[in-house]
Amino acid sequence: MSLLKGLVARTRSVFAAHASEARMEEEFCFHLNMETERLVSAGMAPDEARRRALVAFGGLDQHREAMRDGRGARLLADFTSDIRYALRAIRRSPGFAIAVAMTLGVGIGVNGIVFGYVNTMLFRPMPVNNAKELVGVFTLDTRSGSPGLLAYQDYLDFRDRSGAFAGLAGETGVPLNLVAAAIGSAATADMIWGDMVTENFFSVLGMRPAIGRFFTAADAPRGGNPFAVLSYDCWRQRFHGDSSIVGRVVRINGSEFTITGVAPSGFKGLRTFGFWPEMFVPVGMHNVVMPGSKQLLEGRGAGWIYVVGRMHPRWTMQRTERAASVFAAQLASTYPGSNENFGVTLLPGGSGFDHPGFVKPRVLVLASAMGLFASIVTLLIICANLANMQLARAAARTHEIAIRLSLGCSRTRLARQLLAEALVLAIPGTVLAMMLVRLSPWLEQFLVPHLQFRVGLGPTSDYRVALFTAAVALLAVLLFALMPALRVTRPSLAPTPASVIGARGRGARPRSGIRGMLVVTQLAMSVVLLVGGTLFVRSLFVARAIDLGFDASNRLLLSVNIGLQSYDGARGRRFYDDVLTRTRALPDVVSAAWAFPVPFDTYGRGVGLYVASARTNSKNGTFSSNSSVVSDDFVKALGLRLEAGRELAAGDTSGVPRVMIVSRSLATRLWPGRDPIGQRARQGSASGPEVMVVGVVSDASFLSLGDQTPDRAYLPIRQNYREWQTLVIHTRGEPMTALPRIRAIVASIDPSLPPFGVMTMKQSVESGFSTSRMAASVAGFFAALALLIAAVGLYAVVAGSVTERTREIGVRLALGSTPSGVLRFIMSGGARLGAWGLAIGLIFSIAVAKLMGGLLYGLSPSDPVTFIVAPAVLAIVVLIATYLPARRAVKLDPIAALRSE
Amino acid sequence: MAARHPSESDPLRGSLDLLILKALSLAPMHGWGVGLRIQQISRGRLEVNQGSLYPALQRLEHRGDIESDWQSTENNRRARYYTITRQGRKALGEEVDKWKRFADTIAVILES
Repeated sequence: MSLLKGLVARTRSVFAAHASEARMEEEFCFHLNMETERLVSAGMAPDEARRRALVAFGGLDQHREAMRDGRGARLLADFTSDIRYALRAIRRSPGFAIAVAMTLGVGIGVNGIVFGYVNTMLFRPMPVNNAKELVGVFTLDTRSGSPGLLAYQDYLDFRDRSGAFAGLAGETGVPLNLVAAAIGSAATADMIWGDMVTENFFSVLGMRPAIGRFFTAADAPRGGNPFAVLSYDCWRQRFHGDSSIVGRVVRINGSEFTITGVAPSGFKGLRTFGFWPEMFVPVGMHNVVMPGSKQLLEGRGAGWIYVVGRMHPRWTMQRTERAASVFAAQLASTYPGSNENFGVTLLPGGSGFDHPGFVKPRVLVLASAMGLFASIVTLLIICANLANMQLARAAARTHEIAIRLSLGCSRTRLARQLLAEALVLAIPGTVLAMMLVRLSPWLEQFLVPHLQFRVGLGPTSDYRVALFTAAVALLAVLLFALMPALRVTRPSLAPTPASVIGARGRGARPRSGIRGMLVVTQLAMSVVLLVGGTLFVRSLFVARAIDLGFDASNRLLLSVNIGLQSYDGARGRRFYDDVLTRTRALPDVVSAAWAFPVPFDTYGRGVGLYVASARTNSKNGTFSSNSSVVSDDFVKALGLRLEAGRELAAGDTSGVPRVMIVSRSLATRLWPGRDPIGQRARQGSASGPEVMVVGVVSDASFLSLGDQTPDRAYLPIRQNYREWQTLVIHTRGEPMTALPRIRAIVASIDPSLPPFGVMTMKQSVESGFSTSRMAASVAGFFAALALLIAAVGLYAVVAGSVTERTREIGVRLALGSTPSGVLRFIMSGGARLGAWGLAIGLIFSIAVAKLMGGLLYGLSPSDPVTFIVAPAVLAIVVLIATYLPARRAVKLDPIAALRSE
Repeated sequence: MAARHPSESDPLRGSLDLLILKALSLAPMHGWGVGLRIQQISRGRLEVNQGSLYPALQRLEHRGDIESDWQSTENNRRARYYTITRQGRKALGEEVDKWKRFADTIAVILES
């Protein structure tokens, strides 16, 4: 603390120096004038009087200096000389300086990057006015306690009649087919994620547009105002930040919309977890944005709007919630039919919010916890190592320090000197760290795989990240500089001439004791990271070997959402048929089919199947199974194995009895011990239409690797129309080469329909590994880094002890020790540290591995291979790190060694 | 580094502080006045290096024994006036006692 105070005082004295210097001169001048006048009035000649006054005053400069010293300018001078001295010391050992700067830079930078992600998830503020006043408003079933979304009519009543909020706005996420052209380029069609918002959305949030204007009351529902606001990122990326964007017309879901403005940078929608909306459209355009949503603005009770409210000034959340609940009770009694058990609940909304029923993905929480843990541990290792290097260097500099102490240099002065050195070393390290943090969005491309949509996660670098990084840097400097500085200058450790042979027992041990401990800590922590990394990487290999149940090679995927283009059933069927016929006619296409969802889609669908004899797992007495709606030929196109019965055919259409294909697991579950072919179930409920099993296919992984629910029913699209489908194409060669022709086919049928989610099945499967791969690369990176640093630390300790014991080794050799004996003797010290590190590390690893269980595919957290490989790797590293310096010891010339002191 | 503090090698160090406090305990004064006053009280027997008053004044102010502000003199010039604080008066009292005891002790030794 006193260090900080000193620093503040010094800084202040620099600024104050100028003013006080002037005052000092004025005071001196006054004195001299008065004295001169006194002497003149006593009858002295003015020139002589002036001279005498000056003599009486004494050396002007001397007094000035004395005053400056008193002001603390002297401390500043000391400080600059400390820095100069530090720079000189560093210039003498540039290798050391570079190593420290790099290690520190990487350590701090990694912490900054990881914090950038956590910042995005937890602290990302919305660029809104007075964010503390914002709350998320959700319904609450007063009986079951389960939360939900408001209906539009209920929202209107709350907004206009409840008086509980100063303002209330709503939005819902919608997929949009966007056809737009940046200036000077051809129009491209793409499916993006947007928000349909109430017209007061931006004004309730209190946001200012980056360009243009937001919606006004004139854009209210049923106003039919085809206006759109772009997100800042969308404007920058899709329209190259074109400043004349306002007034531009784009096509959304087949209709023309005029862009009115651009949202401020950093606004990524209300939800913390979820897609980042690229475009905002008024709810008045719901019939275009969400075709077939005629009842959207009607109805009460259950709804679809994420509502954000601005509280009255100085109202607490409790008061607002009470007022809202009172009004909710009124609504419940006014509309007993729709609003039974109607209540509301609020969430703090300043940095965005999620549906209260939404459980944060365990994987994300775990991954971020792992990331933070790993990065902090890495930083600790780095600090420990730097402290070690400082200690080692200080040990080598004992001579210099001894001389300075004996010349009367005070302990604090010396400690300050060492601290100044640390600071000088930290500055390039911190600069490097900041550069790494700036580069993090670019690094992300390597660590995070491509997703269909951009998910609302990504590193941010704002003042919080900068502050955090700076705090970490400061902490690191204090940790790595202060401890050795204080230690080295401790009087009891002030170097004494080392005793010759006795050094083995007394002299050397205590000094390397603390360094040994640091090394053990580093090694233990790297064991933890090593075990974590190995588990992830192993899990990845195990997962790759899992049988997917379908063939992922030479398959191309391409999705469309024709519902957004307002297709009706007849036109949609025609579209699906046209695309299939023309695609299959291509020479390099083996087979093609429509299906949704396809394996590793982000989406799932279910179907209720009623079989009188079968167990049920849902309320209406049906068995709820996963389902896909598919076209004819899908078994071939997907490369599923047909185990019994037949493939779906073009003839399985409306007007004929409903049919389906089931997975092996579903067949066994519904009709255990019986031949599933020809069995019947009712679709949806006990009174639903009858559907007959015509085929059985292999179980396939759809949701993730090692999918635990392989029950799946495949329903023909001709009997179960869907608006969102994925074309699966089995190609003869490299699938991507067929893409342009397939795109051309779709475009020739409907030029404003954007295919999306274009990728090969291989890529899609890879994305199923994404979390695990990300975790593996992160953990692997940290583990390698930690191990490398720990190895350097161990090397430094062993090398240091070799240097310290040069004489002792010389004596041993001279007395007839064999080189191998000395080698063993030196290495055993390092090995002991290694063993301690390994033992402690393994204990912690077991706990950490248990925690990671949820992220591993097909691998037990106590995987024996991991617990053999990780210690083995460590052992090899320890061996190398101790052997290299030990070998140097063996090569010592005994005579020279004895003379070395 | 000690050589850079002229006041430290000054034989009057310590007693200079005492003299300044004594001078200021009579009335607030500017630096020149303090020097003049010391000379007057000692009836010219004590030749204080006038410039060394200022570091001493600064030191005393830093310690909180005196305060300063800028005022105009009777013939309308700007000057820095020093005033003794309550803490300064206390310190003066203690210093005077200490000095007297010291002088007595020396006297006893010399007379023995």
